[in-house]
Amino acid sequence: MPRSLPSLSAIPPMLIVVLVGLPVFVALYAGVAAGDGATWDHILQNRLMPYTGTTLLTLLIAALIMLGVAVPAAWMISQYDFPGRRIFSWALILPLAMPGYVMAYAWADLMGVAGPLQSYIRDLSGWSARDYWFPNLFSVPGLAFVLGSTLFPYVYITARAAFSMQSLATLEAARSLGAKPLDLFWRIGLPVALPAILGGLCLALMEAAADYGAADFLGVQTLGVGIVRSWTSFGEPNTAARLALMLVFIAGSLLIAARLYQGGKGVQQTSSRWLTPQRTRLPRPLAWITTGLCALILLVCFFAPISRLLWLAMESNARRVDLIPLLRATLALGVLGTSAAFVAAMVFTLAAKRSAFLRMATRLIAAAGYAAPGAVLGLGALFLLRETGQPLAGATAIGLLLWIYVSRFTSAGVEPMQATLDRLPKNLDHAAQSLGSGGLRQFFRLDLPLLAPGALAAGLILFVEILKELPATLMLRPFGWDTLAVKAHAYATDERLAQATLPSLLIVLAGLLPVLLLSWRLGATERS
Amino acid sequence: MTTIRPLIADQVSRSFGKVTAVKNASLTLIPGEITALIGPSGSGKTTFLRLLAGMERPDSGQILSGDTVLASASRHVPIEKRKIGLVFQDFALFPNMTVLQNVMFGLREHAKDERVRVAESWIEQLGLTHRRDAYPHHLSGGEQQRTAIARALAPKPVAILLDEPFSGLDPSMRGRVRAAALNAIRVANVPALLVTHDASEALLHSDTIAVIEHGVILQSGPPNSLYHAPGSLAVARALGPVHKVERASLPAAWQAEINTETDTLWYRPEAISLGKGPDFTVSGSRLAGPVTELCLNLPDSKEVLYSACQPETPLTPGERVQATINPALFFEFVAETT
Repeated sequence: MPRSLPSLSAIPPMLIVVLVGLPVFVALYAGVAAGDGATWDHILQNRLMPYTGTTLLTLLIAALIMLGVAVPAAWMISQYDFPGRRIFSWALILPLAMPGYVMAYAWADLMGVAGPLQSYIRDLSGWSARDYWFPNLFSVPGLAFVLGSTLFPYVYITARAAFSMQSLATLEAARSLGAKPLDLFWRIGLPVALPAILGGLCLALMEAAADYGAADFLGVQTLGVGIVRSWTSFGEPNTAARLALMLVFIAGSLLIAARLYQGGKGVQQTSSRWLTPQRTRLPRPLAWITTGLCALILLVCFFAPISRLLWLAMESNARRVDLIPLLRATLALGVLGTSAAFVAAMVFTLAAKRSAFLRMATRLIAAAGYAAPGAVLGLGALFLLRETGQPLAGATAIGLLLWIYVSRFTSAGVEPMQATLDRLPKNLDHAAQSLGSGGLRQFFRLDLPLLAPGALAAGLILFVEILKELPATLMLRPFGWDTLAVKAHAYATDERLAQATLPSLLIVLAGLLPVLLLSWRLGATERS
Repeated sequence: MTTIRPLIADQVSRSFGKVTAVKNASLTLIPGEITALIGPSGSGKTTFLRLLAGMERPDSGQILSGDTVLASASRHVPIEKRKIGLVFQDFALFPNMTVLQNVMFGLREHAKDERVRVAESWIEQLGLTHRRDAYPHHLSGGEQQRTAIARALAPKPVAILLDEPFSGLDPSMRGRVRAAALNAIRVANVPALLVTHDASEALLHSDTIAVIEHGVILQSGPPNSLYHAPGSLAVARALGPVHKVERASLPAAWQAEINTETDTLWYRPEAISLGKGPDFTVSGSRLAGPVTELCLNLPDSKEVLYSACQPETPLTPGERVQATINPALFFEFVAETT
């Protein structure tokens, strides 16, 4: 049992709790305390209901897309052998490197009237653009497609882990009782893995709900878009606050659902032989069809958009974009934000290790970070600033932005460090303390070296997440501090897609680092 | 109606790369009889079971149910079409289904009412009626294993294969679960293979024992004959401890009783018991449950003999005792000296 915390050492972690929780608390308080009467009716009828409806519909379609893509792919990869299986098993998480807004830019160009797909159709058929119907990306299903195709790896990873963890003996017992391959999937594989799959789906949907860039670019009026526009364009802080309340409610519900699904409820395996199932070799035509489908997923969700962006970058005058100030601002904010969030995460992880109370607080902080999208936190910061009467400029704006980064991403840093700690023997601390270790000596000789792998991963994840962050940076950055993400978004919404490609590609390139790390870890787990 | 026929492995071999897991193994499982397959870890027991079940394909040889070929060089009936019941050490119950649903899983050919009736009768036979609607994670280990056996037997399989089914159970419940399970299997009158590393379990509960080592079935036969007349040192060791002794070091009276021709002999510790015979000095004594393990020294000799016996009073080192032998439990194995 973790012992109770001495009062002095509880101060830094408690300060972090306050630091992380305050912006979301302020945004929520503003939402609850926002005025009512005519204003409220206006918000409800003209803003809250349409924005909420659009958000929920987007999430529903995105959920269907993610389940339809990720679950069959995970099942085939964990159960069967087919050409390219090993490559697909890790390559299918590559789309995670693409922020939704970058995927939206690329597919908007690919699917546009003048884009390669429609041009090819016209060349082939001799039709004009008015002679045929073509799916419109600038719509709710279009946004759902974009978000689904970047976020489905969340579902894929959890589904694959759940399928691989299924007892080999259970599946063999089912086969010995006459179960055919589809029976195995529908009657054993899927029901047993369902809680984990739904947990992954909820996390993916939470990320989808937090999107701002893709929805704004595609002109879909989701809650994230509504919050930023209500503040910046309509000058309606009350509306923004109410929308934020609804968005946190949706994201929070999804987070709670994810935790419930992953927290032991649902199906418990009783079989102890946690073997990766022995894979069955698929007969030839079926094997190639499976390979083709996996390749298609990868093409649609990663290689096609990346190739298009590369093509656009090389073909156009994208090189004329002055990257130096963008890189300078991105790196400065990235390094400062990462350092701040990293220290917060490290303090929190170590404190939580020694106190049951802080362990619980860790969960809360994770919830606050996860469930509060950047737009909501940005709004919270703006409300705070309004109270102080300070202008949003210079060091104040940067300080505020760094605070929001800490609030939004500390949980992302705690997670890999916590995972590293969880793998260590529980009595390590007691052993060290029995040998007279404690305080700073224990931190430098034991905690830090042991946490190093998780800390490195945490640093990498934090840096990339901050680099990709859009809504809060958009709302809070001072003049002259445009990041790659902000500039790419500005170019794209300005219909200067060619100029948006280079910053977008740099973001994807950076995003690939943690994804490749994750791929390597998944591969290592499978090999072991 | 399924006709119950013997399940036959005929000269079956299976290699994984350069490792031969099973080599020319032949064994016939008779309906209504329990055949125990014993051997050390890595001896090929489980691979042999997987070959019979259809989880592995043999490289050569045949597997037959009666005269129907299930596997050969040119034919492989997949596991889902063999109708062979499987029971695993870790139960392998479907965690998303209740006891009743687990037992009904393999029953497809009847209407639902009939399936429920058949499943319930097996649940009752295995003493699980009160747990009918419980999920696996609410069951004890013994209940889970009985559910697994009911599930395997309910579809009237042509054979049942049990892979160390009782070794995961608490020793206090193992005996009861094993008795109930094996009784149900005998009632079902199907050929049964019990893979185990527990020699006492094999001796106590099987009709036939087959000993496998390095993928080769060394010997098979009734428990009694294998225990008392092992064909090799490996078979003797598989069924219980044996010790080596030089014939010349035994008392002259014992040498006369043991009718063998080799200089080196092997004996089971219960071959030596306390009784009228040569004098020995007790050099060690250890209580091992129902028997006491004694180390006995002949006067003026360094040779130690081991005995498993039941002395009337506890013995301490240094005491003098007399001992006698059962010559049937002394073996000679030509060309085996280790």
